[in-house]
Amino acid sequence: MTRTEDVTRTPETRSPETRHRPAVIARRRTCDAEGTGLSHYVLMDRQVTR
Amino acid sequence: MNAATATTATPLDEGRPPRGLERFDIGHPDYVAAIDPETAFWALLRHDAWDDVLADGGLERDWRAKRHAFAREMDMLRFHLKPSAVYFNPTERCNLDCTYCYIPRAMRRTGEHMDAARLMEAMERLDAYFGRTVPEGRRPQVIFHGAEPLLNRDAMFAAIDAYGARFRFGVQTNATLLDEAAVAFLTERGCGIGLSLDAPVADVADRSRKRWNGSGVFGSTLKAMERLRGYPGFNVICTMNRENLGQLTAMVEFLHDREVPACMLNVVRCTQPGGRQSWAEDAAVARAYLAALDRSHELFRQTGRKLVVANFANILIAILAPTARRLMCDISPCGGGRSFFALAPDGSLYPCSEFIGLPAFAGGNLFTDHIEDVLASPAFATVTGRRVEDIAACAACPVRHFCGAPCPAEAHEANGGMDRTGAYCAFYKEQARYAFRLIADGVADDFLWDGWDAGTEVTFDWEA
Repeated sequence: MTRTEDVTRTPETRSPETRHRPAVIARRRTCDAEGTGLSHYVLMDRQVTR
Repeated sequence: MNAATATTATPLDEGRPPRGLERFDIGHPDYVAAIDPETAFWALLRHDAWDDVLADGGLERDWRAKRHAFAREMDMLRFHLKPSAVYFNPTERCNLDCTYCYIPRAMRRTGEHMDAARLMEAMERLDAYFGRTVPEGRRPQVIFHGAEPLLNRDAMFAAIDAYGARFRFGVQTNATLLDEAAVAFLTERGCGIGLSLDAPVADVADRSRKRWNGSGVFGSTLKAMERLRGYPGFNVICTMNRENLGQLTAMVEFLHDREVPACMLNVVRCTQPGGRQSWAEDAAVARAYLAALDRSHELFRQTGRKLVVANFANILIAILAPTARRLMCDISPCGGGRSFFALAPDGSLYPCSEFIGLPAFAGGNLFTDHIEDVLASPAFATVTGRRVEDIAACAACPVRHFCGAPCPAEAHEANGGMDRTGAYCAFYKEQARYAFRLIADGVADDFLWDGWDAGTEVTFDWEA
């Protein structure tokens, strides 16, 4: 039940605007960890009302 | 099969990255990723600037300055959470016989309900436990789950009314019993409501989701969706399996057209034999899934309205802000037995619903044991102690903390042990590549729910 090959690679042709793009993109955010979801249910982020 | 060869970094064809960073090909024409697998730090470097950026040393200096803090953050996320949610099965029974269900067939057909008094006692015990562990001002969550929870509707609704101020409630249902009265009850109380539907057309949807007599439930699910149209706490789970991959893009269009705010496109888990028979190889799953994500983005650009694919959104968030993730399947150890646990109708406690049906993973009983003791039980420790570092295929994988090698139940049952990957290693790598491409193209927010980053703060921001 496992596979070894990679799939759906995008061809590596440089885009025309390459040199106008930033040389580096690196970001990270943090917060208190409160995740409780599992794949059997979509967790709501907040209380909702109709 | 061994997936080890699928999870190594791309061979270097440009400058070697600094020690601790690994090059990861994201399939983007302009960018490649450099990832610190231990801390989930990443940077996207333009191909033609790779050598200059690394030679400059500024990015490496700033990353190393934050590395310890990032490691502490991951340690907290991975090893120091306490449960704040319960997946509560109020009945063993289900009125459907879906092909891939992780709950054993005999249990679903002839199992027991938890009676009303017992269910209320369970809520009382859970309330007492969370009162000791969940910070003031934060409400724990109870998600009624199944089997089909609405088969035990009166007891469940009584609990929601009695404990509405103490918990946030959700229900995951097959929708066959979600009539006008049930919708009114749940929506008036702000409960989350998840439905299950596998395709936008009956002849495909009904192949996997059907009653015991073999008839499908597509029509009743559609009626429930109409009743829920416009309700923001409504979502749909679509289980990707070998029968419906050709329908995923149409499924996204179908859900968007019906104003569904969020969905999950989940791989079918191979924990039980039925799931294994529905398995589709992950190259095919990835192609169909990424095409569906592309379509969800087109629809957003055309209409200004999002259909958030929540399981993918979570992968994106795991990259952008590791501690802000909501779904706890894609982290190692997973959230089972750590950030949530599951309650079976007989009171047995499991790390996750996926283990119900595997008695060896019952860590104790809510009615006879202390929850704290159950969480520390050997059965739970088997799951909460499963780390990607101990899985050969993951130990060298740059994206191991954006994937988490789900799912332990599947790894154990289908692949032979907790030290094995799950069934979709290459699929998870493709999700990470796709997510990085969106970040490179500046469109990641289009795939996330509005306000996802509220309450977060920036700890690294390097764009040059």
